[in-house]
Amino acid sequence: MRKAYVNNNIKLNEFDALIRITVEMSKYLYPYIREILKSKEDIEENPVIWNDFNKRFIELINERFNIDSIRVKKLLNQAENNEIIIKSLLILSFCISNKGYQKLKNFLYDF
Amino acid sequence: MIQNKLSFHQSSASLEIIGLPDYSNNENKDQISIISKWKLTIVDKPLIEGKIEHLGPIMDAFYIYSNLLIKNEIPIYESKLIDIKADNLHIHNIVLKSSKPNVKPLVLKIGNSLLSDTINCFDQLNESPKVRIKKTDITTNIPKNLRFGFYKKVKFFNIFIPPFIAICSLILFSSSFIYFYSPFENIDKKEQINP
Repeated sequence: MRKAYVNNNIKLNEFDALIRITVEMSKYLYPYIREILKSKEDIEENPVIWNDFNKRFIELINERFNIDSIRVKKLLNQAENNEIIIKSLLILSFCISNKGYQKLKNFLYDF
Repeated sequence: MIQNKLSFHQSSASLEIIGLPDYSNNENKDQISIISKWKLTIVDKPLIEGKIEHLGPIMDAFYIYSNLLIKNEIPIYESKLIDIKADNLHIHNIVLKSSKPNVKPLVLKIGNSLLSDTINCFDQLNESPKVRIKKTDITTNIPKNLRFGFYKKVKFFNIFIPPFIAICSLILFSSSFIYFYSPFENIDKKEQINP
């Protein structure tokens, strides 16, 4: 999905390290994640945070991902990407505890 | 006797546990093993409180529902004590049924932010070394197709792994006794007997 010419498979220890970094980042960013989710809940009253987040998300996808891929196109489509974004934010917000690493790993294996 | 009180907070939700240590297990004074009461406070929502036998099932309901929410499009959790249904992707409908007769169920609508706050409070409680919760059995009505989704991987391995291991061990064991028939050896022997 990423813009890359070399297809390297991720190693298990690299995958573990990425999960640990993601959990630590989501602990730190939980107040922001929560506000984004809250903004989407009452989008008519408070649309600014959600719109800013969505705009930046699409900018980053355009910048770093291979936009010719069908899966990436799905991420860019605003009608379809809402569910993916909300579920991803929810997963991150559920994994901020001390056992968040194990939780996130389980979520990813079950996906 | 003065009861211990422990609170777990996460943004708009807070969980309070009131109880006593189990002195028969030589526990510390500040430990809680015998929970007498718990209170879950969510901002702008009615207070939820109950006895120890309600806490385990309610926590399990939230955990199972959050898993269903992530994995399925229409998550539903139903039990004798609590029902949780998703109105849409952002609003979750919680129905808390009272164990007392003639008491109307309490209906709450919470968003994703409050749901994650509540689950994080439960996580803090689970991870707290000062509280020990005994797990209780619960009866749930999770749709059958979802249950199959949960267990199908486990069932698949349970069915196929034991015979596979048995066949492998038979092959390994019998290979140590294997005898390769060599026709040239037999011809030589026959020639020695009848020259």
